[in-house]
Amino acid sequence: MFLEIESLTMQFGGIYALKEVSLAVEQGEIHGLIGPNGSGKTTTFNVVSGYYKPTSGSIRFEGAGITGLPAHKITAAGFARTFQNLRLFSSMTVLDNVLVGMGHHAKTGLWREILNPAAVRREESRFVGDAIHLLELFGIAGLADHPATGLSYGEQRRVEIARALATKPKILLLDEPAAGLNEVESDELRGTLKSIRDSGVTILLIEHDMKLVMGVCDVITVLDYGRKIAEGPCESVSGDPVVIEAYLGKEDEP
Amino acid sequence: MNSGIFIQTIIGGLGIGSLYALIALGYSMVYRSMGLVNFAQGSIYMVGTYFGIIWYAGIVVGLRVPYPVALLIGILLNAMLGVVLERIFRPLAKLDLMFMLLGTIGLGFVLNNLFVIIFGAEGFAVKSPLPDTPIIVLGIRVLPQMLLLIGGAAALMTALQIFLKRGKLGVAMRASAMDHDIASAMGIPVNRMNALTLAIGSALAAAAGILAAPIVYVNPAMGSAIGLKGFAAAILGGFGSIPGAIVGGLLFGVLEAVSSGYISSSYTRGIAFIIMVLVLMIKPTGIVGETTVEKV
Repeated sequence: MFLEIESLTMQFGGIYALKEVSLAVEQGEIHGLIGPNGSGKTTTFNVVSGYYKPTSGSIRFEGAGITGLPAHKITAAGFARTFQNLRLFSSMTVLDNVLVGMGHHAKTGLWREILNPAAVRREESRFVGDAIHLLELFGIAGLADHPATGLSYGEQRRVEIARALATKPKILLLDEPAAGLNEVESDELRGTLKSIRDSGVTILLIEHDMKLVMGVCDVITVLDYGRKIAEGPCESVSGDPVVIEAYLGKEDEP
Repeated sequence: MNSGIFIQTIIGGLGIGSLYALIALGYSMVYRSMGLVNFAQGSIYMVGTYFGIIWYAGIVVGLRVPYPVALLIGILLNAMLGVVLERIFRPLAKLDLMFMLLGTIGLGFVLNNLFVIIFGAEGFAVKSPLPDTPIIVLGIRVLPQMLLLIGGAAALMTALQIFLKRGKLGVAMRASAMDHDIASAMGIPVNRMNALTLAIGSALAAAAGILAAPIVYVNPAMGSAIGLKGFAAAILGGFGSIPGAIVGGLLFGVLEAVSSGYISSSYTRGIAFIIMVLVLMIKPTGIVGETTVEKV
């Protein structure tokens, strides 16, 4: 199994943010993670990507245990993620934002920078080329030298995803990428997600925009109050009475 | 006073200002990177000075090395001290300002007293590796060591700027300082970036101390006043800003020199601090500081 989360529990004080959640993501799929607000979706991301150490449970990626590793090691293992609230390096240019993501592939250390500056420069110019190429794929190469802070919401979203892809991940965790996007941008995002998947990157997607979720996801997992309440292909999940109840509340009994 | 003496005063101010700037850089870089106000910076400056100058002055079993070698040794040893300090500061950076202050001031006392125990409380004068007689150009008299201090500081600050702006490691350091969470999501080891920041800050302080040693007097208490002025300089320029630390340091040095030259040397410290307060009343973020740096 590609990514295997087993009976993951995350407790804050006396409150269970996640309780025994198990989840399996197969390579090459777009896996939706949905649920009402506060159901534990972002907590799942934060545990998987190394920001929280889980109270119990295990996470395995490509057969290796990664539970409790620090975030930068999870990234090195092949994960990338975006955050719910846009968090670009605002005083850097768009290009630098993407370059930061490429950094951890560099062999650069302080010593190498001092002893072999020529090799480091060559590597850097290659990185710049790769970064520009990524920006071209997202149609924002023209903004490369703009400071990230002046961009529109949709552009910032694209920079954020490009930056995440710059780490060359095997799996991409997207936390509400459609939030704040208009209809057109949201449609574009659907195409983007599919082409990312087709390029060989598995996607785990948190999203409230159901049209987008139903349009791109191969499998959906539904959380509610920190527990998994349903899992399966779109059609079966969207018709599941338990899921409908979680979203809309129980029908009043006569 | 004539214009020759005025220029001489300004050069003296730039010299001592370079010293403040290098120390202010340590404060601002660490604050940017870790959100930590490091009040041990003055002591780190003192330790760095000893780390280098003892080999030049023959304090340890009469061993003597040339001045440039001593400078390098001091810079390297103090950079290593910086890496160790990161481990000590890591838990402190998560606490309230009050605990940071107690922790870093306490560490400063420990370092000061440790050096009193090892080297004794009274210090020593260091002979300049350059001629002791002032160079006289157009009636302006300047000590060669003062020029070395100004030039050395300028070279170090330029190198730092290039490193931070151009190098990939520099970009990673800036990213890490801006947002720890995102930086680690980008695969950047944030703790190691903090260690590198403390190493650079400490290395700059060591360089400052060793370059200034033949002008100032070397003793275990040498860091307290200068540490405080470096802090004031960092605030004057905009706390957390790297260009701000440089501008603030130089300006503070020049203000001090001019006020002691033209008003009275006994008010030197007071006048520079009064001007700092006035600047902050007009522009609370400091001269170069864009916005108040917020740290969690």
